[in-house]
Amino acid sequence: MIAIKNLVKRYDDLLALDHIDLSVGKGVIFGLLGPNGAGKTTLVSILNGLTGFQEGEIEIFGLSLEQEPAAIRKRCAFVPQALALYENLSVLENLRFFAGIQKITGADLRRNLDYAISVNRLQPMLKQKAGTLSGGQKRRLNIAIGLLNNPEILYFDEPTVGIDPDGRNEILETIRNFKNDAKTVIYTSHYMPEIEKLCDEVAIIDRGRIIRQGLLETMLQEEKTDSVVIELLSSSPAQLHELVQKHEDVEMIDAATLVMEQQNSTKMGALLAALAAENITLKEIRYGTTNLESLFIRLTSSSHEGSDV
Amino acid sequence: MFKAMLIKEFILVWRDKYALAALFIMPSVFILIMSVALKDTFNRERTLLNYAIIDQDQSLQSSKMRTFLADNRALQEQHVTISGAAERQRALHENLHFVLTIAQGFSESYTQMESEGSKLQLYAAADVRPEMLSLFKSEIALGVTRLRIEKMKTELAPYLPELAQELEAIDFHGEGLVNVRFNALAADEKPTSTQQSVPSWIVFGMFFIIIPMSTIFISERKQNTLMRMSAMNISIPALFAGKIVPYMVINQIQVWLMIAVGIFIVPFFGADALTLGHSIAGLVMVSLGLSLAAIGTSVLIAVSVATVEQATTIGGITNILLGAIGGIMVPKFYMPSSMQELANLSPMSWGLEGFLDIFLRGLGPEAVVVDSLKLAGFGAGLLLIAGVVFSHRIRRGI
Repeated sequence: MIAIKNLVKRYDDLLALDHIDLSVGKGVIFGLLGPNGAGKTTLVSILNGLTGFQEGEIEIFGLSLEQEPAAIRKRCAFVPQALALYENLSVLENLRFFAGIQKITGADLRRNLDYAISVNRLQPMLKQKAGTLSGGQKRRLNIAIGLLNNPEILYFDEPTVGIDPDGRNEILETIRNFKNDAKTVIYTSHYMPEIEKLCDEVAIIDRGRIIRQGLLETMLQEEKTDSVVIELLSSSPAQLHELVQKHEDVEMIDAATLVMEQQNSTKMGALLAALAAENITLKEIRYGTTNLESLFIRLTSSSHEGSDV
Repeated sequence: MFKAMLIKEFILVWRDKYALAALFIMPSVFILIMSVALKDTFNRERTLLNYAIIDQDQSLQSSKMRTFLADNRALQEQHVTISGAAERQRALHENLHFVLTIAQGFSESYTQMESEGSKLQLYAAADVRPEMLSLFKSEIALGVTRLRIEKMKTELAPYLPELAQELEAIDFHGEGLVNVRFNALAADEKPTSTQQSVPSWIVFGMFFIIIPMSTIFISERKQNTLMRMSAMNISIPALFAGKIVPYMVINQIQVWLMIAVGIFIVPFFGADALTLGHSIAGLVMVSLGLSLAAIGTSVLIAVSVATVEQATTIGGITNILLGAIGGIMVPKFYMPSSMQELANLSPMSWGLEGFLDIFLRGLGPEAVVVDSLKLAGFGAGLLLIAGVVFSHRIRRGI
């Protein structure tokens, strides 16, 4: 469905995407995971034909993106992170406008409108102005607009930013259901529980490079460790750094996260005592974690170490 | 596609009460105010200047001088007692434009004042316009000339009675001395303030679209709806066309609304009604050219600035500057020649000349072809630049 080979994108002197290779199959929910500035949005913009690139090849539906961007875009939809809709238009007016500019008419219009409205549960608020909707409802409308051309591939750029857990779960549920309609979803986020809950395959991207890619389940199995993640509420980086130096097998990920490579109750006891002595408050301790978050932390931190050498 | 864009743009404008006020109410009110404010410009019965006379000579000649000045209906003598410099200053500050003092000895010296020194002293208010001062001085000079002619007539009558009779027959303020005929108007027609001022404010009003159009465009940019449209295969020319068409329609509604105000509403306020001239086609040509120029300016501002606040400020200033340079606020004939040359570079000036050709000079479409093409070219040029800037910004993801 999507095949990317050796993709390079530069903004002047900044290398935003560094020789990316990626492939996504039909009907897959694919998570693109990375910290802010990693290159996720740039990659999605390129796939949507909004931004050019300097090197590499991209094929979507077997068509070259460079040669047939319009034909490809006709079969795709992009749901941006920002609420790309008109607040002064009603829900239905928004949907009709975006359908109109894509020249969707007649039976196609009726069918696609019905689908977008029902999937996103927008029926009760069709006449309501978009500006008066709740955050979650606006996000659903944002998604509904993306469904108007009945796309085969849907690109979501952090679609749950700024909404409450209930709204987030509703949206994840909606997106999960696209799998039943054989739609391919590319989903970018830096919120790992979402990706873990939703995606079949994942690529972890950092500093413009893909540092790991594959089936999520396999990846977690392969990367299973005996590590312990200690999350802290507050500390100063300098204070924590000094403390970590005195404890073997403990690594500081950032000012709020420590990782102990092996479970060891003696070492853990000493570490907790040291934290208490420094008045550093604990938030959470996760034993034997093999979740995406710990994998992500480990991979991105080792990627940074590598680049520093 | 255009239908969807047209409907969307109309709904957005219709639901934005500030945009509605800026697009339709403000220009209409402008037309009304300016037509009523200037309604007496061509009214010969209207008093332009108030003055007082301090007659220290108390002679037959000084009395006649007073009568001669009163013959001009644009001048209105105020019969007030002014006994000193302080009172004179106060009167000139409050309600008088001029105070004329006719000094003692005027009756003996009015025939030789140039050589013996004038007995007439004119005090003028500080805010008197130069052309009004010239008018009043001319009236004084005319009064002195009439006194001298009367003296000549009296002295010549016994020797040259026919010449004295001819001098008697001169009517200094009557219509018979000079016939005035206004270009492109019938013999008994004269231009009206409505006819002269409405075109200026139509041009100015059409450029009011800069602010609502650029703010809507920037909001779309900020909310990523434009980016979303790009991802939906909408090209930049199509995107711009989707703006140009609705705002051209909006501009046409504005023009005909302002014309309707000039024709139907202005007369209720005592000013002359607007007449359309002889060429609706010419009117449409100029207004379409003006539309394109205003839309090009709006789109260029919208794609160049970062925020709605910047668009509002720059849009407002651009409108006023183009109006000031283009002869909207100050008529071109008041400007020095260097400024007039500058005015000829302003699209508002081309639009104004085009409208004046139709409304005031009674010309046809052929007279406005060049101005309309200049306006359309200006607008197209700005749209082209805006397209380059916008595509660059999209590529940069800004």
